[in-house]
Amino acid sequence: MTALDTNLDTIREKLGTAEPWVERLGTLWLNPGVARVRDAAWAMSAAGARFITITAYELPGDTGFRLEYHWDLDGRLLGIPFQIDGKTTESIVDIIDAADWIEREVHEGFAIVFTGRVYEPLMLREGEKPGVNLRVAPVQDDPASGMCGQKEVAK
Amino acid sequence: MSYKIPMGPYHPGLEEPYKLEMICEGETVKDAELNIGFNFRGIEHLAETRNYVQVIALMERVCGICSFIHTLTLCQSMEKLAGIEAPPRAQYIRVVMAELERLHSHVLWAGIAAKLMGFKTMFMTCFALREKVMDVLQAISGNRVNYSMNHVGGVNRNIEDPLALVPMIDALEQEMMRTVIPIFTTSSTARSRCAGIGVLTHEKAVSCAVVGPTARASGIPQDLRRDAPYAAYAEMKFEVPVEQAGDVRARLFVRALEIIESCNIIRQALARMAPGEISSAPEKLVFATGTATSRVEAPRGEVMYSVSWKENSRNPARVHVRTPTYANMPAVRWMVRGARLADTPLIQASIDPCYSCTDR
Repeated sequence: MTALDTNLDTIREKLGTAEPWVERLGTLWLNPGVARVRDAAWAMSAAGARFITITAYELPGDTGFRLEYHWDLDGRLLGIPFQIDGKTTESIVDIIDAADWIEREVHEGFAIVFTGRVYEPLMLREGEKPGVNLRVAPVQDDPASGMCGQKEVAK
Repeated sequence: MSYKIPMGPYHPGLEEPYKLEMICEGETVKDAELNIGFNFRGIEHLAETRNYVQVIALMERVCGICSFIHTLTLCQSMEKLAGIEAPPRAQYIRVVMAELERLHSHVLWAGIAAKLMGFKTMFMTCFALREKVMDVLQAISGNRVNYSMNHVGGVNRNIEDPLALVPMIDALEQEMMRTVIPIFTTSSTARSRCAGIGVLTHEKAVSCAVVGPTARASGIPQDLRRDAPYAAYAEMKFEVPVEQAGDVRARLFVRALEIIESCNIIRQALARMAPGEISSAPEKLVFATGTATSRVEAPRGEVMYSVSWKENSRNPARVHVRTPTYANMPAVRWMVRGARLADTPLIQASIDPCYSCTDR
């Protein structure tokens, strides 16, 4: 058993999940079960993993969001997905400094509120409404969208 | 008495849109706040409206300097979803292009750093060298900036005669060894402007999760080319330069040494380039439902793409990009604390920031 395997087992035990790490398309994924995102942040910090990012996905039919937290441990990419039903989840910025900007960006992109932290605008300017990524994206060549089609640009 | 100095978003010391608000006492910076987003284009959201061909052209424009790296990372993610792999020759060509882009980025950065040090002759020398790197990139791809080299399953252009490029690389390396590297590493001007300033301690570098040369200059020995090899990097022999001081000079040293390593890697890739096809893309690409992630060591550090697809769709459902400057820039706040105000343009430049990447 390598040091990496030991670390991965320790993280799993700390989160209290019986499910193993599963490799999918080059990423090692762990289903956190009932564990909280802050538990994952503590476990990863204790293991010496480097925080990379949070990727937010809007789930179909207004069922909430999936937030995928990514870490690097000894060159291996680790992912832990958390599903949130509403629009609120816990911040991990007091545990991991590096999560500050991405939490602010996810808030601005998906209007998700990370509790337990103070917000300052990141990509948007003061007073702009969060949820940029939830807006219906204009379709090219559709006059109703107000976006210039390629033919108009060519003219 | 403390006072606030705003630097940017339009400022002679910062020629890109970004704002550093510094709280100073006398000439000493006590704290700083960073403001970004002046160049926010919503590219990730826009990517959802592009098909699998168009999205490559769009993401190539996330960054002007490392445009190849962005399409490489995106294509690697999409290749995972499509269940295909680029053929060996394409993997070698990807290594050559990625390392040329690193040379381009590091030499460009050296020129800008020289200018900020007040070393204008060196600025000119570096930009003349950068032209030579761009000549090689143009010889391979036909383009000087956005190279259009990658597609899902391979590359668009072959290197017909790899060994013919070796003399160009040798000449580049000789010029760098003769001028840029010795001047940057030994000149008293460079030393006096860089040593001991903008220090990012190892502990702070770990807590900020910085990447690339910024991390390696603070004693963190991470490099995805070695730790999680992609393309043909597993077959390349190279060193990962690491410095401990964490100051501007250490970041300069790391990049200078990386220039030499890049030349070595390019020579190896050109000499060992496998024969055969440059693409394995089928006539019609089919992407599986799910998410695939890819990481690449860009000149400034780790780039990560997460790409999500729904079955039978021509467009990605989501493309998320984590760029290296996005990880490195928050650390500038800690680097400028305690620094002289006059040093702050050079300190912020020492992470080689890319605002276009950061804002997307």
